[in-house]
Amino acid sequence: MFELTLQAVYSGLLAGGWYAMVALGLALVFGTMRIINLAHGELVLLAAYVAFEMERSFGLNPIAAIPVALVVVGLTALLVYFLIGRIRHDRELNSLILTFGIAIVLTNVILMTWSADIRSTSVGWFMDGAVIADTLFSMNSEVLFFGAGVALVGGTYWWLNHTWHGRALRAVSSNRNAAMLMGVNPARVEAMSFVVSAVLATVSGVALYTASVVFPALGHGLTIKAFVITVLAGLGSVPGVLLGAVILGVGETMTATFAKPSLQELTGMVIFLLILFLRPSGLFGRKVVGK
Amino acid sequence: MTMMRSGLLLGFLAVAYLGVPLLFGGMDYVMSLVIAALTIAGIAVAWALLGNLGGLVSFGHAAFFGVGAYVSALLVMDNGWPVLPAMLAGGLGAAIASVATMPALRLRGPYFALAILAYAHIFKILAVEFSSITGGAGGLLSIPGFPTVFGLDLASKTGAYVLILTIVLAWMAVYHAIRRSTWGLALRAMHDSELATRVVGVPSTHLKAVMLVVSAFMTGVVGAFNAHQISFLDPEYAFSGTWTVLPIAAAIFGGYRTVWGPLMGALVVYLLDQLVFKEIMPSGHQLVFGVLLGAMILLSPQGLMPLLARLGVARPRRETAPQAAAPHATEDGNARA
Amino acid sequence: MTLNTILRRVAAGIVFSAVAYGGAAQAETFTLGSQVPLTGNLARVGTGMHEGISVAIAMANKELGGKHEFKVSTIDDESNPAKAVAAVEKLASEGVVALTGGYGSNIIGPASEAAAKSDLVYITSGGVAPELTHRDLDTFFRINNSEGYGKAMLGLLKDMGVKKVSVIYSNKEATDAMAKYVEEGLKEAGVEVTTHEFDASTTDFKSIMNKVKLRDRSDAIAMIGYENDYVGILRAASVLKPEAKAIVGVWSLATSQMNTEFHDLVQNVYGTSLLPYPVKFSGDEAVEFSATYKEMFGKEPDYLGQFGYVQTRLLIDAVVAAADKGEVSGKTVAQELRSLKADTLIGDVAFDENGDNPNFSHRMGQHQGDRVEIVWPEKAATAKMNFPAVPW
Repeated sequence: MFELTLQAVYSGLLAGGWYAMVALGLALVFGTMRIINLAHGELVLLAAYVAFEMERSFGLNPIAAIPVALVVVGLTALLVYFLIGRIRHDRELNSLILTFGIAIVLTNVILMTWSADIRSTSVGWFMDGAVIADTLFSMNSEVLFFGAGVALVGGTYWWLNHTWHGRALRAVSSNRNAAMLMGVNPARVEAMSFVVSAVLATVSGVALYTASVVFPALGHGLTIKAFVITVLAGLGSVPGVLLGAVILGVGETMTATFAKPSLQELTGMVIFLLILFLRPSGLFGRKVVGK
Repeated sequence: MTMMRSGLLLGFLAVAYLGVPLLFGGMDYVMSLVIAALTIAGIAVAWALLGNLGGLVSFGHAAFFGVGAYVSALLVMDNGWPVLPAMLAGGLGAAIASVATMPALRLRGPYFALAILAYAHIFKILAVEFSSITGGAGGLLSIPGFPTVFGLDLASKTGAYVLILTIVLAWMAVYHAIRRSTWGLALRAMHDSELATRVVGVPSTHLKAVMLVVSAFMTGVVGAFNAHQISFLDPEYAFSGTWTVLPIAAAIFGGYRTVWGPLMGALVVYLLDQLVFKEIMPSGHQLVFGVLLGAMILLSPQGLMPLLARLGVARPRRETAPQAAAPHATEDGNARA
Repeated sequence: MTLNTILRRVAAGIVFSAVAYGGAAQAETFTLGSQVPLTGNLARVGTGMHEGISVAIAMANKELGGKHEFKVSTIDDESNPAKAVAAVEKLASEGVVALTGGYGSNIIGPASEAAAKSDLVYITSGGVAPELTHRDLDTFFRINNSEGYGKAMLGLLKDMGVKKVSVIYSNKEATDAMAKYVEEGLKEAGVEVTTHEFDASTTDFKSIMNKVKLRDRSDAIAMIGYENDYVGILRAASVLKPEAKAIVGVWSLATSQMNTEFHDLVQNVYGTSLLPYPVKFSGDEAVEFSATYKEMFGKEPDYLGQFGYVQTRLLIDAVVAAADKGEVSGKTVAQELRSLKADTLIGDVAFDENGDNPNFSHRMGQHQGDRVEIVWPEKAATAKMNFPAVPW
């Protein structure tokens, strides 16, 4: 019993580190622009497929493929940003439908380019066991990218609080007009949030490719998970994202261990609705619901 | 003006009820496509009603579709209900399910959209888990089909076509009626500025709640229709994202602020996809929906119908708008565009 | 035209005119309809079946040598039942003589009912739900069934003499049904069973595997899912290393593709497989099938292709037999299918009155190095099973 709990918490924690990376990308753009990028999961998946293509065509280690993936995903993210900028009316809702459309396009482009087959890295090291004290089991890739996730989330937090760009982003996020008066160009800041979001998507995509199998239909579910975590966190809270991600990860593994694995997905959804209804501003966030 | 409009309407009804069956009645394949397109149209109208009048974008109409389908199929299979009353009960079931989603009404924009999506997920998982009632992941096979009414075999292609056409037109009439009622007025005022309506004392959440229930009921009946027509159901299919994606694409494409937009959008989008794009791109032609959605949002957020009107292709654009009770409510959307 | 074919034609002509007066004695072209998923979530398996269908058409035409000619008209059903029904109706309106294809019981159900309405025979190997053959459809035929897969899995586990089995299965339609079948079968045989149902979107199986390891402590792990599930479960098992003696799966596992793409991960793992890999075909038909397949698609045939081939080949033979007797209709083709007994690539096929093939029994293969060897049943085995053995 004790061992089971320990492993469930450990697995959930590792998953949480990765979830945080995926979710922070979404949360950042949501925070700055009040826009849910429903194509975010597809960006993550795109990075995974670029890593796959690099490995298949050039025998590149997935880690070494990150820069290439970053260019592809970054450009795609900027394209999404550009298209969102063309929306004239009711940006909040119309952007939802626009990015939803982009997500469909990306999924099908991935399907047509790389087919419906399942893909995963063939570099054995990633799947080798990393065992702590004979009781906690994980794969190398999970530990590696948990570390990367925590580092990236921490880095983003530091960046937001201690650099001029980061502070400009936070300024735009809390009051666009005031930020403009203070000489911040909101358009540039918003574009920047997309780029940072692309960085996070890239690393989490490569992580997915090394730890799990990818196939074209995966993106949608990732976006949903990321959104669940964003709501859990509350708008604009980076530590909230990390905590929300870990809660979701551990919640899932605990359900799988002590209830029924098939109810795992239900856990996330129920947590999501509970938070929305009971504490709509999230665990850490400012009030966002209602004007 | 009014005479011309009723003439057009009569002409449309004649073509829809007589022309189409006479022309295509013998071609099962074409009829199947049209029936599928109308099924999408039925959900699209319900979605548009909620979107336009309730100001709520839902990403989870599959939830109501699936509940309606299951309730109706189970009432017929386990309790021996006749199919047509069971379909209405299916709608009722979806309406009741929508009550469970009502806490989401105080959420705005994307929060509401994705909260409804969460409900769709939860309903699907419940349908899998309560296998003693729903048949679980294996689903229900050989669901009884439609009866014969007034000498028309509704189980035939033509019969099913007439049935779904009637459902869709009835929903459009409901949409139209609500829009021109005082409720509709209040609702659209609310959409313009929620604060304004609150000031003038309209209980906006109540109105939204009613719209949600009506929209869910409509979607549930369409789901029930689909279950008896395809004669099969499983959680994956009943709560599939397709039942959300296609209607949204159709409603956006046709113009969800008009009564005819969702129907036209569904016919155009679905038939184009199946007859043209599928031939050109055997794999991945769903991509086209994405492009259509994006393009419409960027180029003509009000949809195809107003776009056509603007280009002067269609009849005068008031054609589809209600005779308004108050001057500022004569046009929706375009007035502000 | 060689002398041989001329003679055959003459002979056929004599038989033809003797048996069927009034029937057209010249070469006829028959179009078969095929409704298969080439896109959507069943795209992969549908494409495999479709390749087998193409091979069957090519080989039949070669063999019939101009006496009859077969073509296939294919429509992608996009893994969607409504579109499958529309596809069947379109094919019916084009005048196809029978249908071969279909994947997923949920899609085959409505599609074959639409075929029955048009009085067309529908033959498939893509749906294993028992309900499919209990619908009183006279025109529905299926060459495989879940019992066949289940029997093979059960047979292997029983022969291993394991006392306790953990069944890990996906909550999808076919996997759910199969898991129930295996669970019951094992319990009847006095084997202790624990089940772990997982959601199809699960990617991390460590929590489940840890329960298997610490709580179940079972001798064997039975996986019932699809490729991505197998990879996830096997990775979790490789990390946690439960003390199981064998890991057994069903379809899509003991395949050449899994052997090449996930080579280390699948070592010693069992799965249903009709033929070993690399395929050692014996018998003229099998050798020719393999050669034609390689020529047409540039790769080794897999089980999907074999099933698609066999179902289509049987259908073609039935259509030819019906044509030779004078009338090709849903009724006559169904009659021919029902009366046939054939030794095929997948073993003996004979249909009962429901259109099911009670003879169907699968074999179990095991990944052994670069090969997939048949290890069960003993009479078909190409190698001894490695037992106890696991991938790690």
